[in-house]
Amino acid sequence: MKKLLVAVLVLCLALSMVPAFALELLSGGDTYPIDTDKTITWYAQGGLNPHEKFADWKESPFHTGLIRETGINIEWMFPTTGTDGGVYTNTLLADPTKLPDIMQGYFMDSASQYLDEGVIWDLTPYMEEYAPAYYAFLKAHPVYDKAMKTDDGKYYAFGFFREDGGWNDSYRGPVVRKDWLDECGLEIPKTISEFENVIRVFNEKYGAKFSFAWSRFKEGGLEGAFGAYGTSSLTYYVKDGEVGIAQMDEGWRNYVAWLNQLFNDGLFDQDNFSLDDTSIKAKIHNGECGISMTSMGQLNNWMKEATAAGSDENWVAIPYPTDDEGNISCIFGGLGIGTWTSVVTKCADEETMKLCLRALDYAYTQEGFLYWNFGTKGVSWDYDENGEPAFTSLVNDDPDTDPMIKYNGATWGSSCIQATKLLYLKNSQVAIDANDLWFYSVPAEVSSGWKWPSGTTFTVAESDELALIAANLGTYSSENFANFVTGVSDINDDSVWESYLAAYETQYNAERVLEIRQACYDRYLER
Amino acid sequence: MTIGMKKREMTLSHKISRDWKMNKYKYLLILPVLVYLALFCYKPMYGLIIAFNNYKPTRGITGSDYVGLMWFDNFFNNIYFWRLLSNTFTISALSIVFGFPAPIILALLLNEIQNDKFKRTVQTITYMPYFISLVVTCSIIKIYCQENGLFSQIIEIFGGTRRNLLIDPSAYRPIYVLSGIWQNIGWNSIIYLAALSGIDQEQYEAARIDGANRFQQMLHITIPGILPTIMILFVLRMGSILNVGYEKVLLLYTENTYNVADVFSTYTYRVGLEQKQYSLSTAVSLFNTMVNIMFLVFTNWLSRKTTESGLF
Repeated sequence: MKKLLVAVLVLCLALSMVPAFALELLSGGDTYPIDTDKTITWYAQGGLNPHEKFADWKESPFHTGLIRETGINIEWMFPTTGTDGGVYTNTLLADPTKLPDIMQGYFMDSASQYLDEGVIWDLTPYMEEYAPAYYAFLKAHPVYDKAMKTDDGKYYAFGFFREDGGWNDSYRGPVVRKDWLDECGLEIPKTISEFENVIRVFNEKYGAKFSFAWSRFKEGGLEGAFGAYGTSSLTYYVKDGEVGIAQMDEGWRNYVAWLNQLFNDGLFDQDNFSLDDTSIKAKIHNGECGISMTSMGQLNNWMKEATAAGSDENWVAIPYPTDDEGNISCIFGGLGIGTWTSVVTKCADEETMKLCLRALDYAYTQEGFLYWNFGTKGVSWDYDENGEPAFTSLVNDDPDTDPMIKYNGATWGSSCIQATKLLYLKNSQVAIDANDLWFYSVPAEVSSGWKWPSGTTFTVAESDELALIAANLGTYSSENFANFVTGVSDINDDSVWESYLAAYETQYNAERVLEIRQACYDRYLER
Repeated sequence: MTIGMKKREMTLSHKISRDWKMNKYKYLLILPVLVYLALFCYKPMYGLIIAFNNYKPTRGITGSDYVGLMWFDNFFNNIYFWRLLSNTFTISALSIVFGFPAPIILALLLNEIQNDKFKRTVQTITYMPYFISLVVTCSIIKIYCQENGLFSQIIEIFGGTRRNLLIDPSAYRPIYVLSGIWQNIGWNSIIYLAALSGIDQEQYEAARIDGANRFQQMLHITIPGILPTIMILFVLRMGSILNVGYEKVLLLYTENTYNVADVFSTYTYRVGLEQKQYSLSTAVSLFNTMVNIMFLVFTNWLSRKTTESGLF
């Protein structure tokens, strides 16, 4: 009875969130297109690359269309094909005299540094006048406003937001072969013991193992069932206002001990550490795996391939397992604020900077929001009978992968607001159901409340100090996770565990790093 | 006598113009190489200054604060320094010990084959892997190394247990070195085959008349014939002893094998480019280069002593 009540409450909460996020955007469309003969350069590290079928952006309707809609000549720039985006951005930044006017990348962590050094414009005095739509949007959403400025209240960037406030941030979670579950007479597992039981039964009956692509697990696996907050990648979390390192907790120890037990029993696939989304498919479709963790996009691919091959395998999402009392500390999720931001560099003079603001602001107007999400009305989309945007046959009948990215810019995220409707149109029902299940089955504090916020900024001194003392923490935590799971180090041995913890303090400066992070977080709260 | 007098009287400009008249086409030929060296090898050396600075991009190379040997100090006291040094050195040394003689042996074997068609086929097959992209090669290796992969099955036939080889630290280096040999053996043997064709055939004839068998011919004619080539390539190879390319390591290592696989270049990549620590990674690279130069000079000296051939 109590459970049912909780479920109903959660559902009500979930439903009430949708209208709460209904967007009220400034309609600034009448001021566009702007009459100017100036050209601005716009670099995007990721998310905005022209569709793979195009030779360059000049063939891409979205990129050329934005020039037409805003009236501003844009010279687009992207990382060279085949290079790592982050590395490419850092290479550009190494020579600050020749930067593009607008740069999209990960700037939040080091925003103070870039402002101090004069690499990017402090946009505070110009925002209200030259980016009125964005400014109004931030003022209407204090949580976003907080994330988009530095501790001393300076605006410097245009962010990426999800209209739904985090639904799509939980795009990863556990999945199971429903046909096998039925065959074995098993229920959908809810607790971690039931989850383990499914692994064991599938192993006995089909010889299958618990397999997953490493990238889908290392940043967040099943730790929530053990009261932990991270898996392999170094994770900072916040609990009751205190910043902590996930890999130093007792809950994490229990979680890894559990994985180690699975490994020893031959249930945890040894290949997991080197599997990726492509190489795991052989296992998924050959009956070598019946329970896994993956993303909504991959789940969709699996089902498509299974149907095409005439296989009767039926993959469905299941909720993140809880502990045996029904508690769960976290799932893979977020606040609906992306880490992508666009900044204006000092290579743009004041006039150009103002023009850049106008170009960026378009995405946050009512018209721009529709353009960024669906493309040009009457070409790639139109309103359906319910008055909601729907893609036309131009997109729907296009056999290429993700054809909408030919016309829109919000599919993968950039400096814009991603419409929930776009995600519903882009994803299959299987994937949408999966995301609903992962996201709505837990309260917000579990899906995102524990996360280190994405808008925090370190001071220059803090950045300098972290550069000197914190470079090795990530290597240490992920390496030890691997060694504990495979049993190279015995996690059940108290002395091993003690010395593992002690090394964090003595050799990896964890205490000082946490002190800096705590101060940074406290400043963030006070904004 | 008069000629000698004339030579002494010749001015420097005279000498230059005479030299130019005699060798101008050779100079023209070498010009692109000189331009390349100046632009891509010498000009960037100016940037090494940032290893001694706390480099901030906005302040530029000369404007950043001078911090002396801080980054070197930081690196030498790094917890991972000794591990990186020993891994880099071991992987490189193993690659040299097993990888350097392999193409020589292949070339010698090919040289003994009489059937031309068979020889060409073997050559083509052995240097084919060289042209496959490293990413593809490593994906193949990864699949073969899986718990149910090809190698695991072979191990099982010989009485071992099936396991994923890439998460086994003891298997990482053999996989790295052997796959390297597989990939490069054919390509690297080409230069030796070229050297082999330069050996005077009359020497073999004379040896045969003296009653030398084929093994003796190889030992006393073929190997001494290509020894200068071998030594020069060896000296060059030793000059890059601490250069273990990051691509292949990045593609093949997992967290399980950091302990035996993490090398300077992967560390520089992670810290320098992923964490934007330009100064630290420059310092690491500079250190790397200094060690390489030491090895180069030493091997060259050794080579001059023993075989009287060397680079300088």
